[in-house]
Amino acid sequence: MAVTLLAVVPDMNAYTVDSELVSDSTVTLHDVEVTATRKPLATVQVLSGVKLQSLSSTSIADALKYFAGVQIKDYGGLGGLKTINVRSLGSQHVGVYIDGIRITNAQNGTVDLGKYSLSTLESVSLFNANKLEKGQSASEYASGATVYMRTRKPTGDSLSVLAGAGSFHSYRGRLNLQFNRRGWQGFIDGEYLHSKGDYRFRYKSEYEDTAGRRKNSDIEYYRIEGALFKKGFAAHVYSYISKRGCPGGIVRRLSDKYTNIGREWDTDMFAQASWQHSFNSKHFIKLNTKYSHEYLRYNTNFDENQNTARVDNHYYQNDGYISASYCFSPLQWLYLNTSYDARMSWLTADLKNFSYVRRFDQKAVIDAQFQRYGLRADVSLLYQHYKDHTKIQAGAADPISRFTPAVSVGYFWKGFSARAWYKKIFRVPTLNDLYYTQAGNRNLKPEYTRQWNVGLEYAFGSGAWHAAAQADAYINHIDNRIVCLPLRGTYTWSMMNYGKTFCRGLNATLSGQFTPGKWIFSLLGSVTLQHDVNRTDPEDEDTYDLPICYSPKFSCGITGIVSWKNYSLTISELHVSKRIWSYADPDDILAPYNNIDLKFTGRWRWFIASLEINDLLDVQYEHIPRYPMPGRTVRFTLTYTLGKTR
Amino acid sequence: MKQRFQLLMMFCLALIAGEKTTAQERLIILNEGLWQADNGRVTYFEDGKIVSNEWFREINGYKLGDTPNDIIQINDNLIAIAVNWSNIVQFITPQGKAVAATEDVPNNRKLATDGRYVYISSYGHEVAINGSFMEFTKGYVAKIDTETFKVVSAVEVGYEPEGIAYYEGHLFVANTGGYAFQENHEYETTVSIINAETMKVVRTVDTGQINLYGKMSQSGQYLCINSPGDYYDVQATTIIFDCKAALNGAPDAYCFHSLEYAATYNTVDTEGNFYAIGSRYSYYTGEYEFNYLRINPEELFESDGCDGVDEDFPGSVLSDIKQMMMPYGLYINPYSGYIYATDAASFTSAGKLYQWSPNGELIGTYKVYINPAHFLALPHDGHLGGVSMTERNEFRTDSTGYNLQGMKVNNLLPGQIYIQNGKKFIYN
Repeated sequence: MAVTLLAVVPDMNAYTVDSELVSDSTVTLHDVEVTATRKPLATVQVLSGVKLQSLSSTSIADALKYFAGVQIKDYGGLGGLKTINVRSLGSQHVGVYIDGIRITNAQNGTVDLGKYSLSTLESVSLFNANKLEKGQSASEYASGATVYMRTRKPTGDSLSVLAGAGSFHSYRGRLNLQFNRRGWQGFIDGEYLHSKGDYRFRYKSEYEDTAGRRKNSDIEYYRIEGALFKKGFAAHVYSYISKRGCPGGIVRRLSDKYTNIGREWDTDMFAQASWQHSFNSKHFIKLNTKYSHEYLRYNTNFDENQNTARVDNHYYQNDGYISASYCFSPLQWLYLNTSYDARMSWLTADLKNFSYVRRFDQKAVIDAQFQRYGLRADVSLLYQHYKDHTKIQAGAADPISRFTPAVSVGYFWKGFSARAWYKKIFRVPTLNDLYYTQAGNRNLKPEYTRQWNVGLEYAFGSGAWHAAAQADAYINHIDNRIVCLPLRGTYTWSMMNYGKTFCRGLNATLSGQFTPGKWIFSLLGSVTLQHDVNRTDPEDEDTYDLPICYSPKFSCGITGIVSWKNYSLTISELHVSKRIWSYADPDDILAPYNNIDLKFTGRWRWFIASLEINDLLDVQYEHIPRYPMPGRTVRFTLTYTLGKTR
Repeated sequence: MKQRFQLLMMFCLALIAGEKTTAQERLIILNEGLWQADNGRVTYFEDGKIVSNEWFREINGYKLGDTPNDIIQINDNLIAIAVNWSNIVQFITPQGKAVAATEDVPNNRKLATDGRYVYISSYGHEVAINGSFMEFTKGYVAKIDTETFKVVSAVEVGYEPEGIAYYEGHLFVANTGGYAFQENHEYETTVSIINAETMKVVRTVDTGQINLYGKMSQSGQYLCINSPGDYYDVQATTIIFDCKAALNGAPDAYCFHSLEYAATYNTVDTEGNFYAIGSRYSYYTGEYEFNYLRINPEELFESDGCDGVDEDFPGSVLSDIKQMMMPYGLYINPYSGYIYATDAASFTSAGKLYQWSPNGELIGTYKVYINPAHFLALPHDGHLGGVSMTERNEFRTDSTGYNLQGMKVNNLLPGQIYIQNGKKFIYN
């Protein structure tokens, strides 16, 4: 078998089963019988190539929201924080990776998806268990769920210029230069966006009619990145600089005289490189390294602010990472993977009662995978060690050392596969959780998740027809949830380990594609059914065994793409059922909503024009009460390209 | 069972007393709701039942706003509510009808009144007076005329002023400096004394304790002030402040006593004793322990701080509070002596209201809304004049008897149980 470690992904890859996941053979979906034995053991969903680009998309949150089991939390507007929650594990249990290297934030543990662009990506995939690929780093075993973003490798030389305009005074420009010469591939991509985000909103009910224009929802950013590839070598440099307003909840006011202004400045930069090599069919190594720098300034020191403390705080984070993995296959039916990762994070901030914190995080994993006939099994054991050092007077938390296991088994027969997996993993308290002024608690314990999953999958391909379906039933438990709660009998809050969650769910996806002649018809669907309950306090009848706040029981997404020659039309519909946001009143619910997105793209000579409409029905749904989404948003972009882009 | 018994008792007493059967125990509770969720709610409680947990909205057809922080009765016809995050001072009648609202005092905190004017502490830095703005570096106290519902004057005090009380023509304002853990200034340690008529600061008493934050109770000339410290090096303290001494020009050190306890939630009983619960906490150790206090301020001052403090809560009040998930408020009805406390439970579920008789017998618990924190008892005869909070001695000399429902009884019948000075007795 030819060893091509990162297969070139054809445009027509199926939604759920993607040949990119095959690490040691170049295959397309047409070779279903070949891929069948190499399918991942994990539950995985992928959007790639043309499909990824044909979704209405400004940030990767727009793509991920169509995946089964995913909840996006969005504070509304272009500048609003967007985080991903998978199977109700919580956003801090979701690891987000660019080209196999994790995006980290030691301070708060979450990734704002709004900062990453879809335009340079080849694919976005979501794994619910370990990916179990050769040479995987130990970090990749350390999250409850994992999102992989893969950068597109240029296949030709080109120069593209994009200009766009949209609702709420949004303007965008982008320049992309890419090449593919003598085995070297690379690109430089720069983007600028400015949006006032001053959308209108209205709350109308029997006891309210509040209308207004959103303030403080503006954003301006520059993104510049470059990447270079050659064979097993990949390097990526990324820089994102933004300033934005932080909008608040819409509350009763007699007029708009007082608006609370909070502004945020971000600088996120990283440089990363990886190298992988197969010495022969038995030995494979992979090395990763990354350095990242994050700067955040949060300022409320404005004369207009009457309601809040006037602060101007600066946070600096630096993070260095190295990892080495070695995979050994002594026999055709066995491979052993081992990896060691080390990460050092530094955080400083000019908060009162705060000082420098340093965290040293080491991980090691051993993983054995067996494969015999159609049966595959994988067992892994991950060791993690965290040690903090700080000058904060309260002192550093005790070091954490833990082993966590994961087991996956699968059976593959023709287009069918069946899988079962178990994974236990924890998230360590973030530096904010432990040390933040007037909230941090250095006695926190890790928050544990245990996941069980059984799933079935079927893929079919014949001539112009392709289809794939998968369904997974799962159970997960979360223990020792890390939450911020007021302390009994004081006027102060603190991070605490409080709460247990039990969740049962069903995720299913379906994809089909029919390609007669110059036409492509494609349909992607996903369904999530979830019963997610609070198991914190059996004595508390007002909360025990009741649904978790913000967790929908049902959600589904359907995306249809029709393309003919140089034209394509995408229609996506997302339905999310009602969510409660408090246990205090049955009326404290967020209404169910339907979000319809449309995107039309046409190509003519060197030009590509696209028209996007988000939230076609202008629903202005809420993810958080009193944070209305922008509603119907129209965007037009025109791209001029010289050269061959793909 | 208890409730049914109580209803029966009430019925019997109503027959015996021959009074009209209007409600006796009437209470308004502010549920703070969740910050920025615009779900502050008003509960109205009457004679052992929740009439509504959305009282304001039901009567007025719109919501109260975000994070109501204090409620006070001004006169027979008017109540004021400070709705903090909405920047609104909302005026309602005792029947719940909204009559006026103003946003001229942003970031309003606590309220005091002399019957005509409302005095409001504010963490904000500007106030609108007749359409023009007055700016302050620190916090301020504003004076609203309830005939026009307009701010008539304002005066700067310390940073982030919180508790406010009216005594003998003067306002006593506890300054917190609570933003000190974020902003570039220190915690405050002072009580500002303002001449209510001229709205000038006449004296500033340094208590030596930082961050005079939270609920402040008044018992005649005495105030119970909580100082939670900074949650790091400085521990919580309770300050009992003597307004009379301060007005008479006593040196700072003779104007108050400090006790090494927290008074996070505090109230005053019909005899003028302070009751407080709270805990001292430090982020260094992460440890904290509840304390419970009953303070007789007169005794405390007479003994120069040696006596007058115990843990004697009536009946089962203390043991019931200890079982709460998250105690969030404590209150004694000044007209009847009935005791109330709230449990905020898990903060996303409905809080609970506990009700005890004046001798501490648990009468019932009632589901209210998220973060029930602030109370106002309405006078049972509709008139504020009957029992006034301004002079402590009035309690002492008050020989009026009340029946077990807190109903004022003019002709005591022999052999019946009545309440006098907050204590039960059998009239012979």
